[in-house]
Amino acid sequence: MSSRRLCAALLLLSLGSTASLARPVSYTGGLTLIEESDRQATSVLVHFTPAHQWSIGLRGERNRDQDYALYTLHPTWLAKRWFGKDYQGNLYLHGGVGVAEGVSGNPLGEDIAFHGGLMADWETRSLFASYRSRYLDAGHFGTQFMHAARAGFAPYIGKTGDLHTWLMLEIDHRPSERTSFTATPLIRFFKGPVLLELGYTFSINQPLINFTYRL
Amino acid sequence: MNHRLFISAITLSLAITPAAWSEDHPHSSEHQHHDAAVGESDTAVNEAPDHQHHHAHPLEHSDDAPNQDSHATLTRTDEIDRALVAGGTPIVADVLGVVCDFCALAMNKIFGSRPEVAAVYVDLDTKALSLVLSPGSGLSDAEIAELAVQAGYRIAAIRRDEAALGISS
Repeated sequence: MSSRRLCAALLLLSLGSTASLARPVSYTGGLTLIEESDRQATSVLVHFTPAHQWSIGLRGERNRDQDYALYTLHPTWLAKRWFGKDYQGNLYLHGGVGVAEGVSGNPLGEDIAFHGGLMADWETRSLFASYRSRYLDAGHFGTQFMHAARAGFAPYIGKTGDLHTWLMLEIDHRPSERTSFTATPLIRFFKGPVLLELGYTFSINQPLINFTYRL
Repeated sequence: MNHRLFISAITLSLAITPAAWSEDHPHSSEHQHHDAAVGESDTAVNEAPDHQHHHAHPLEHSDDAPNQDSHATLTRTDEIDRALVAGGTPIVADVLGVVCDFCALAMNKIFGSRPEVAAVYVDLDTKALSLVLSPGSGLSDAEIAELAVQAGYRIAAIRRDEAALGISS
C-alpha cells in the first residue's frame, strides 16, 4: 500500500485533531476548525471531540521552508485538567501519523510521517501561560523538534460574549533552524466561538496568524 | 511596511478598553444594584415580557463591592426571564475552571441540547451556570454534574428555586 493510500484510509477513519494552542479538546460532540501560520509552516485542521478527554482530527500542513506538505491524523488526549474557581490548567498529549509529500517541485516524492508531543497551559481571566512541543519525523524530508512557551495578560476583563483581548509573547525554539530562537509578540482577540491571533516575528520577518472557530 | 502594520495593530489593541465595549452592556452598575434586591427581582420576573434586556445582569454583581465568597444567583437574560415567567425552575451551579468564552460555549452547547433545559447562561464574572428547567422537567444534581463533565468542567455547588434566586428561606 502506498503512503498516499494509507493516508487516504486513515483520513476516512476519522476527523482531525491538533497541536494547536487553543484548547485542542472541546466539549463532547464539539467540532473545531483551526488555521495556524507560524514562521515555518501554515496548517489547517478540523478536530472532533467524541468524549471530553480526547479529540481526533485531520491536519494539513505546508512547510514553506522545505517545500513539503504533511497530511496527518491526530489524536489528542487531555491527560489532566486542573480546576479552580479562578483558573484552569491542562496537560495534553498529542500524536499523529500520515504522509509527507513534496510540493512546489520538490522531487522527494512522499513518505510516511509521524509526530508527537505535549502541550500544557494555565489560564485565569487575566493571565495566561503555555508550553508546547512537537517532534516530527517526516521520513526522507527529515526530522524536526520544536517547542515554544507563551506568557500573556488581558489588559481588561470582559464579560461573557464580549470581545476579549490578550497581549502575549511567544518564545519559540527550533534547534535545527538557522535562527533557532525567536520571539513573537502577538495579540489574541477572542469573542464567542472565534479566536484570532496576530503576531510578527521580527528577527526573521514572518507573520503569525492563527484562527480558531468552535462549533 | 510590515513592521509598521504590526505596530499599528498593537497600538489599536492597547487602545481597546472595557469602556470601548460597554455599549454591549447597556445596564449600568446602578441598574445592577437595582436588580440585586430580591423583592425587585420578583418584579423583574413578572415584567420580563416587556423587558428588552439583551444582556446578562447578574443579581449579585456589584462593581463597587464585589463579594467573591457570596453565592452567585441566577443571571438574568431575556431567555431566562421568559423561561421563569413560563413557570420554569431556576437552578444555579458554581462551575470550576470557567475562564473563557470557549468554556461558556461548551456549557451552553451541552446544557442547551437537553430538552429539560428551557434557558441557559454561563456568567464568567460569577463562574456560575444559570439554568431554567422547563415546567414539569427535572435534572438531578448528579445529572447536572455529569453534563458539566461532558462539557469538560466540574460543578462545585448547586442551588435551586429560592436559593438560586437569592431568596432566603
